[in-house]
Amino acid sequence: MKLNAFRKKSPWILHYNAGSCNGCDIEILACLAPKYDIERFGMINTGNPKQSDILLVTGPVTKRSRERLVEIYAQMPEPKVVVSCGACACTGGVFRGMYNCEGGIDQYIPVDVYVGGCGTRPEQIIDGLLQALEILAKKTKDFEESVRLKKQVGREAWQINRRNVAAEIKTVIQ
Amino acid sequence: MDLVISILLIVMAPIIGGLIYGFERIIRARMQRRIGPPLLQPFFDFLKLADKRKIIVHSTHAFLGIVHFFSLWFALAILLLGGDLILVIFLHLLSTALLILAGYSTRSIFSHLGANRTAISILAYEPILILIGVSVFILTGSFDTSSIFNYREPLLFKLPLAFIALLLILPIKQKKSPFDVAEAHQEVVGGVELEFSGIFYGAVYAAKWLDEIFCYSLVYLFGANNPILGLGLVLFAFLYVNALDNSSARVSYKQMWRFTLMVALPVSFINLLLSILQHLL
Repeated sequence: MKLNAFRKKSPWILHYNAGSCNGCDIEILACLAPKYDIERFGMINTGNPKQSDILLVTGPVTKRSRERLVEIYAQMPEPKVVVSCGACACTGGVFRGMYNCEGGIDQYIPVDVYVGGCGTRPEQIIDGLLQALEILAKKTKDFEESVRLKKQVGREAWQINRRNVAAEIKTVIQ
Repeated sequence: MDLVISILLIVMAPIIGGLIYGFERIIRARMQRRIGPPLLQPFFDFLKLADKRKIIVHSTHAFLGIVHFFSLWFALAILLLGGDLILVIFLHLLSTALLILAGYSTRSIFSHLGANRTAISILAYEPILILIGVSVFILTGSFDTSSIFNYREPLLFKLPLAFIALLLILPIKQKKSPFDVAEAHQEVVGGVELEFSGIFYGAVYAAKWLDEIFCYSLVYLFGANNPILGLGLVLFAFLYVNALDNSSARVSYKQMWRFTLMVALPVSFINLLLSILQHLL
């Protein structure tokens, strides 16, 4: 039996705030509230990487949060998609080039859907999530790893060590 | 005929439980003026979890999750086949104890906290269930659930306080607000179920559906020999638990423990004393 069809019907979301100003997070909460109600698509905000399908990241990646971001991404079982939510998560936004930020989560993890806007609207978030579902249905269960790591992911015959550590970006983004 | 119905119920238990769980999610959404997920949502969740890659902490942990599901199913089977009430309560305890063991077997702190809290909620509800079982024994002269069906009157009219005590502990058993300390998604991220993933979490998730059926069949026993009364009680308990879940905030485990010690346990004790008095007179 093909179980791929059921991925689209029950995507569980993991929301991670990588140093956001809380503007986008409030809009994500608005998506869960009665007016937009994303639970009608079967989406739940789980807060547990081991059981979720969509990683919804807000905020530019600060130096404090990047290791958590990579660790959380590594803990999610495949198939998984990443939605970067807001201008900061896509490109760095107004924080781009600052000493404490990295400018966009795609420096560290592969992103599938970019949702723009400074303070993304709930409609945009829902649209982005539904586009992410299209990608999720097509994905295979192959191992996906972060872009920039301090060392290679350890692999043995019977297991994968998923404890990943993010490497620093040496050059400042202009 | 009864045997056929009960065997059918046992075999279909995960499916019926899943439907109840889906219906419950819709009801909860409607109480908040939301549309809510489709009725078959729990099954979609389960099939999706079966499809995902499995991340196992260690094999015993994953195995305990599966055994938790099957031991709960076994307890439910004995309850529906008219077995010993005390045996059923202890088998249910055993299945929860397996989950606690799984929680302690990992190194995750949230998992340990969840296991601690699950153990505390067992301490809170278990004595009350046993006292209810004992008062049923004093009334009907047997621990078997089939004797409740053969008794001349529904239990609700003979032991009304026992029903109230059961209603007080139902939210603890089903991990619903205000007594959802064991699960507490905002605090301990699901507690013991934190480290499960893939099909193993699917088993723990499906065990929640069986737990629903277990709780509601305990409620049904109070109207056992009058099916309309029994189903009415189940519907009442269902609405009561969900309305309470939606309208109350979580209390701390100490408050929960104090509540069961101060209110629920005395109610079940008084119920036991009254049933002894009835028996003597």
